[in-house]
Amino acid sequence: MRLPGLLLGPALLVNLAIFIAPMANLAALSFHEARPSGGVGPGPTLATWASIAEDEYYVELVTGSIGVALGVTVLTLLAGYPLALFIHRAAPRWRNLLMVACISPLLVSAVVRTYGWMVILGDTGLVAAMLRFLGMAKPPRMVFNLTGVVIALVEILMPTMILCLLAGFGRLNASLEEAAASLGAPRWRVFTRVVLPLSLPGVLLGCLLAFVLTVSSFITPKLLGGGRVILLATEIYDQAIVTLNWPVAAALSVLSLAVFGLALLLYGRLLRVVEA
Amino acid sequence: MAGTALVLEGLTKRYGTLAPAVDALSLTVQPGEFIGLLGPSGCGKTTTLRMIGGLIEASGGRVLVDGRDVTALPPHRRDMGIVFQNYALFPHMDVAGNVAFGLEMRGMKRGEIAAKVEAALDLVRLGHLAKRRPKELSGGQQQRVALARALVIEPSVLLLDEPLSNLDAKLREEMRAEIQDIQRRLGITTIFVTHDQAEALAMCDRIAVMAQGRIAQLGTPHDIYEHPASEFVADFVGRSNRIAGHAADGRLNIGDLTIDAPAPVAPGPVTVMIRPHRIAFTAGGAGWNEVRGSVRRVTYVGDVLACEVTAGGAVFLVEQPTQPGVPPPEAGAEVCIAWRVADTLVFPRETA
Repeated sequence: MRLPGLLLGPALLVNLAIFIAPMANLAALSFHEARPSGGVGPGPTLATWASIAEDEYYVELVTGSIGVALGVTVLTLLAGYPLALFIHRAAPRWRNLLMVACISPLLVSAVVRTYGWMVILGDTGLVAAMLRFLGMAKPPRMVFNLTGVVIALVEILMPTMILCLLAGFGRLNASLEEAAASLGAPRWRVFTRVVLPLSLPGVLLGCLLAFVLTVSSFITPKLLGGGRVILLATEIYDQAIVTLNWPVAAALSVLSLAVFGLALLLYGRLLRVVEA
Repeated sequence: MAGTALVLEGLTKRYGTLAPAVDALSLTVQPGEFIGLLGPSGCGKTTTLRMIGGLIEASGGRVLVDGRDVTALPPHRRDMGIVFQNYALFPHMDVAGNVAFGLEMRGMKRGEIAAKVEAALDLVRLGHLAKRRPKELSGGQQQRVALARALVIEPSVLLLDEPLSNLDAKLREEMRAEIQDIQRRLGITTIFVTHDQAEALAMCDRIAVMAQGRIAQLGTPHDIYEHPASEFVADFVGRSNRIAGHAADGRLNIGDLTIDAPAPVAPGPVTVMIRPHRIAFTAGGAGWNEVRGSVRRVTYVGDVLACEVTAGGAVFLVEQPTQPGVPPPEAGAEVCIAWRVADTLVFPRETA
């Protein structure tokens, strides 16, 4: 082997040892069956996979998780797009400042931000107080249910979304919008025909990351969901730590990996379409 | 297509408290006329063009198209075709899509659009590239697409913002002729912004030379070149020998030389300007200014001979086409140079 190939060696070894091998181990584990006592039975067997496929609970868990992730992704995009566009168009000396301001929440861990949202959205929190002040007799409950989880996830994912959008706005420039306007396009058509299509690579990247991060989100649904919002990651945790059913946890992990794989595949396809 | 009259009345653009970028500029463009806005960067020419197109708001003044005030209209309702310096082609559409865009915005039917797009692409000789993406085209081809896209909507006014500055020299001359031909054929009123004086001289019916947000001189290329109104115009358009002198008794003193002025001049410090190619190695005669000097440097480039001649403390650059059988003078040789009195441009010295 030539030197460049050899130089890849250490990275390959490390990856193999700490990433590929555990993954293979996890996959193998899903082909065992849990003993009622909590241990792992001898394999290989398809029993665990069969029980997951037959159990409506798991089917709903997977489709529900994908549904929530899609919803969060769309909301994050809607919230992040105008901000990203504004930052992209800002004068250069403001742009960096705005970007730092937008990304600064990343300096605070998701745990802290989730607790923050628990305070803000709680029954006696800021939002509820405001709604009461505005005349709503009984504000809706926003913690320990899906509403709170979605709100918090959208906020937590926005910096990531905005970064992706900004990275994908490279082909946008003011003279294209001016050209469209001079050719007779009113502002909304400049947006739909020029700005939006040109920003699609960034939109796709942002959506991919937001989707994957939501499906794998754990802290926020765990804390803000109050045990009622069960997504793939929280269920994996419960199976592995609470129920001690490692084969099911392993199978669900493999399933979420498959979901990521599908998302990535779809991303690649769509990217080729929008960049063509 | 009948041309449209374009009138600018006291058009002004101010940014904050700075000196205005465009200062009460007035200009009347005849229907079908090709007018150049020529000036150094920062003179306000592009700002003026953008105000005409509605891309930036005027701080004052009016833009009239065939007598109709369009100053308050947004760009998409001004009916002006703009060709941008960077072409601004839509990268996500093919050539035909780019050209069709303006027609789609006008709600035209598909069949009609296809026919017009084809005609417009034929006009710029790009019919065979309709399905290409802009990034697959050369600079000159992109330029032509931008032109077709601006023309296909049959705008009342065509605005060209330094359209040739991104092309290489050879292509630039080709496109010059092409744009000129198309403009003449369509008879479309055109405003052409450029910092390249040769381009402006070659293409425009009239040129407005701009400086500091105002028009320094408006006239035909011939007027501007032969009768520049100020030292700035003479210096910016074409090349000149620029020599400090002094006017006294109706004549001009340069060092210890005395020459004639083409018209009476007020006594005082003056700048004398003479185009290098109007000076010849010849003894003058009546109506000529003649000086004797010595050749300081000779640059021989085949078709043109450039000599620096020192005379009376001043240096004269002389440029002449080379003559068959006549060897270039040698450095140090004593020569006699002369130019017509009428080619002597005299401006009162701009005192600091």
